[in-house]
Amino acid sequence: METIKLTNINKFFGEDIARVHVLRDLNFTANPGELILILGPSGSGKSTFLTIAGGLQTPSSGSVMINNQEIMNLSQKQKDKFRLNEIGFVLQAYNLVPYLTVKEQFQLVDRVKKTGNLSEEKLNEMLQTLEISNLKDKYPDQLSGGQKQRVAIARALYTNPSIVLADEPTAALDSARVKEVGNLLSNLSHQQNKTIIVVTHDIRLEEFADHIYHLDDGFLKKTK
Amino acid sequence: MFLALKEIKHEKLRYSMIIAMIVLISYLIFILTSLALGLAHENTAAIESWNAKSALLNKSSDLNLRQSLLTQAQVDKFTNNKNNAVIAETTVVTTAKNAKKTSATLVGINKNEFIAQNMKLSAGKKATNNDEIVLDDSFKNNGYKLNQKIRLNDSDKKYRIVGFTKNAKLNISPIVYTSVDNWRTFRGMAQSFGGSAIVSKASSIKNNDKTLKSYPISQIIEKLPGYSAQNSTFVFMIGFLMIISLIIIGVFLYIITIQKLGNYAVLRAQGISANVLVKATISESFILTVSGLLIGIILTALTALALPAAVPMTFDIPLMSAVSVGLLVMSMLGSLIPTRVVLKVDPVSVIGG
Repeated sequence: METIKLTNINKFFGEDIARVHVLRDLNFTANPGELILILGPSGSGKSTFLTIAGGLQTPSSGSVMINNQEIMNLSQKQKDKFRLNEIGFVLQAYNLVPYLTVKEQFQLVDRVKKTGNLSEEKLNEMLQTLEISNLKDKYPDQLSGGQKQRVAIARALYTNPSIVLADEPTAALDSARVKEVGNLLSNLSHQQNKTIIVVTHDIRLEEFADHIYHLDDGFLKKTK
Repeated sequence: MFLALKEIKHEKLRYSMIIAMIVLISYLIFILTSLALGLAHENTAAIESWNAKSALLNKSSDLNLRQSLLTQAQVDKFTNNKNNAVIAETTVVTTAKNAKKTSATLVGINKNEFIAQNMKLSAGKKATNNDEIVLDDSFKNNGYKLNQKIRLNDSDKKYRIVGFTKNAKLNISPIVYTSVDNWRTFRGMAQSFGGSAIVSKASSIKNNDKTLKSYPISQIIEKLPGYSAQNSTFVFMIGFLMIISLIIIGVFLYIITIQKLGNYAVLRAQGISANVLVKATISESFILTVSGLLIGIILTALTALALPAAVPMTFDIPLMSAVSVGLLVMSMLGSLIPTRVVLKVDPVSVIGG
């Protein structure tokens, strides 16, 4: 069963002569246990793709099915709840709330999503895997770029989502860290049967992906 | 509340500055309210102490006690009722040895009527003849003492202070209680005049005399010279300060919220509802205002302890509580200004590339 199925997606911005066709008749499917890379230059529509796949934005036409649920039929409140339960976002910037310690980032999630989050034991296990278990009492501004990114990944996985959408997760990392994050995302998708979609410029992640797509001028093309 | 508390704890300097603003505003409002209440009390203390509900004055007096003048026959007609009492008002200047010259209001009363009979003394006894007077407590601060002889205006005659009474102020001026006979002397009136007005415990005084009219005491208080203007001024100042506090809280929270929109967009993308973020903003406003108010109240209480007795301030807990609630309501309204922005946060804005 597909976790994400995008069918005949078109997305336009602007009107009349300023109208831009960002995504063109795009079809895409993602399954559990897959790490999928979406590569493309700036302005190619990667972010629009990610926001539509994550239910943050509606396409101009087409269908968005996430876990067999037509996302466009949901109200804003239902979409919020759906994202909270089913999707983990790892974002390039502003990943963490600056006035919460690492520990408090998870406590915030506990306050808005009372059930279904990782147990304390599993959280500690994940933090150890990510080598950030000693950073629980640190604020984001006390962390390095790599540490922040790993905390953001942990935060995204804490709700135990079936889908993880990552926007340039390795933008701030050196090659060694890219390898670590790549391995981590790959292990997560394969061992925990999660669908992980990464939009990025970073070709260093290619070796970890199960499938690779290229997005160019709104056209999506599978290359692996 | 969680997000609000954590943010305030982390951004101590930023939020301390907002709390400091609220402290200053609330302190100013509390002091102004106390001053307004104190001055209002000094205008009406005597009238309130009489517990009268109505007063009979000359129609032509424009509700001004000092402008009203009743004949002895009129006074006799109304004072045979134990609920009524005559008051005879004029101004005097008091002088005594080793005491400060003091401008005062002389109020002539009859010793067998309810004003004299219900008078509460803080020291001494009530006046029983034309040589004795009872003064407001504030005379003590000017060096007047019990049993001391004092002069009123330029009189040759000296009067003995036989008692002091609390709350004997009219139009901010301290009262010299004496007999109606003495009032005639200082006003230069013939025996045919009996006083300025009749005050009554009844809600109105029945009267057939076309030259006289019964008024509720509240109307007479409103017409005390300067009273309404002074109260309106204070009410406007306090009202404006309330509105200023609303704007300050609203603007500060708005600026802080604008700075946090990136974080809020991430939280919205992660599925945290706008309601949670709105609640955090309102909670922040609540915590900041309550903290500011508490410090403001403590500062006001310390100021009250340090103030000399001559400063006419009255600290009334129910009124302070009402002002605090008013400020809190204003800050809650102020916090609604940034909530509009929070509700419109677009989670898509943080996903770029």
